[in-house]
Amino acid sequence: MTIPADIENTPPRRQAWWRALMRDPSAAVSMIVLALFVLGAVLAPLIAPHDPFEGTRSVMQPPVWAERGDWTYILGTDGQGRDILSRLLYGTRLTLLIGLLSVGIGGFIGSFLGLLSAFYPRLSPFVMRFADVMLSFPAILLGLALVAIFGPGALPVIIALSIATVPDSARIARSIALSVMQQEYIEAGRAIGLSDTAVFTRYLVRNSISAIMIFMSLRFGQIILIGAALSFLGLGARPPAAELGMMASQGRDFILFAPHIAFIPSLTIFIIVLAANITGDALRDVLDPRMRS
Amino acid sequence: MIDTAVRRLLQSIPVLIGVLILGFLLIQLSPGDPARVFAGAMAPPEVVEQIREQMGLDRPMLVQFWAYLERVLQGDLGRSFISNKTVASELGAAIVPTLELMFACLVWSIPLGIAMGTLGAVWRGSFLDRAIMAFSVAGVSLPIFFICLLLIQLLGVKWQLFPFIGRGGPLWTLEGLRHIALPALSLGLIFIGPVARMTRSSVLEVLKLDHVRTARSKGLKERRVIIKHALRNALLPVITLVGLQAGYLLGGAVVTETIFSYPGIGRLSVGAILSADYPLAQGCILVLALAFIIINMIVDMLYALLDPRVQGK
Repeated sequence: MTIPADIENTPPRRQAWWRALMRDPSAAVSMIVLALFVLGAVLAPLIAPHDPFEGTRSVMQPPVWAERGDWTYILGTDGQGRDILSRLLYGTRLTLLIGLLSVGIGGFIGSFLGLLSAFYPRLSPFVMRFADVMLSFPAILLGLALVAIFGPGALPVIIALSIATVPDSARIARSIALSVMQQEYIEAGRAIGLSDTAVFTRYLVRNSISAIMIFMSLRFGQIILIGAALSFLGLGARPPAAELGMMASQGRDFILFAPHIAFIPSLTIFIIVLAANITGDALRDVLDPRMRS
Repeated sequence: MIDTAVRRLLQSIPVLIGVLILGFLLIQLSPGDPARVFAGAMAPPEVVEQIREQMGLDRPMLVQFWAYLERVLQGDLGRSFISNKTVASELGAAIVPTLELMFACLVWSIPLGIAMGTLGAVWRGSFLDRAIMAFSVAGVSLPIFFICLLLIQLLGVKWQLFPFIGRGGPLWTLEGLRHIALPALSLGLIFIGPVARMTRSSVLEVLKLDHVRTARSKGLKERRVIIKHALRNALLPVITLVGLQAGYLLGGAVVTETIFSYPGIGRLSVGAILSADYPLAQGCILVLALAFIIINMIVDMLYALLDPRVQGK
């Protein structure tokens, strides 16, 4: 059997969208920025110049570019004399972890439900009604309720944000999976006598997964913002841990004399979320040409 | 339209039940005696006894839940641990300030967002369009507390234009307006982005449609075509957006009220949760959820009212 020329010459799909993505300068820059932050977060214990939790006597040191700044504390110190750069690295770690876990857990459960309801259409109405009900419950409210029940902490926040991610991912996974189900290879798989489980895992999941992951990345920025807001309010991560929203909130008391303590972590969240949003938008444009502007 | 209202009402029942279960759990899980929780810290023992009997704490959970429902539906939400006032009166005092903040935020951000989105769509691809889109992406990426802190630092401390603590009085007084300026500005800034993006894509869709081409070929002025024929039809999705983004706005309000010490429901709930004031926290969550359901219902009904295609369904 000969392979038609046009199929042979088409690059694999993954490479095609990767290249299209890299052609967009803002998307490329955003992905590099994101990668740098992830790297800094992962390597925090190795590269942090000071202990992020231990206070010193040099309280409220300005960053190096300010008048009284020096190179010992590049980003200055906070109200307790802790090195802001070190805390920033650790804080990014926790902020990213809360976001990743929430999107990961919620996205996994939601996608599974969505895929299942596309595979067994009889399940569909139940899953979709369930998603409708859940969708009408805002994440922040769920967060407030769970924190009220279990007390402040990173765990209730992760649980709340995971639950809030389920309905969206279920809908998106279902719509992606429905179009995969139309493909001939699904029928072919059935025709050669594969079991439901095999068709589901080998054909449906594998062919839907990359599109689902991309939609999850769009969700990531919003989840990070809600998690940081809850920590800012004192409802999320607890001291002595460092978290970006919490750092901003601790800097609030010094906004008159040392605004950098609150502004540096806030700016960090902004850059991370902005990079995530631009990357997500670019990915969607590449994957879904109808929405390309 | 009545159909929509009824359907929406039925759809919100599971959510309401879920919220009530959460409220019930909050009271049940609170450390100590639920009867004491409901009676308030200062209540005399005989009142606590009476409430214990009323709540039927020795009876099965379901019966207790039913009793809880009956009380809540009668507006009895218990008493605050901290202030010993009834939760209903605390909530009542906080609702008006929050509604004022919402109004003061939406009244400028929605028109501005619509204007920006329309300009972007009309001059699609221009420098202005790109600037507007960059502004909206930045807007949805900004942590709300960052905006609040920046505005406090700049307009409050440096230029001393506006006060940044508390509420100055009702919205129609000068002090009220001066105090609400910074919170409303902060909250509005995160809302412009989504509105502008939605308006832009919606206007772009409508501009492609036949009736716009007809209007143009009739020789109508471009401005008239855009405003009367395109924008009018493009605004429908923007209305839905307000409903979809109600949760986003709610989260923003909770943070904004807390930072500006603005005495609304958001600040009340954060305070209640942080001080483990379970009855008050329960009341706040019930009210916030109810508000959310009502907003979505109003949006759906508005949509049905404005879009004749929905009515037939």
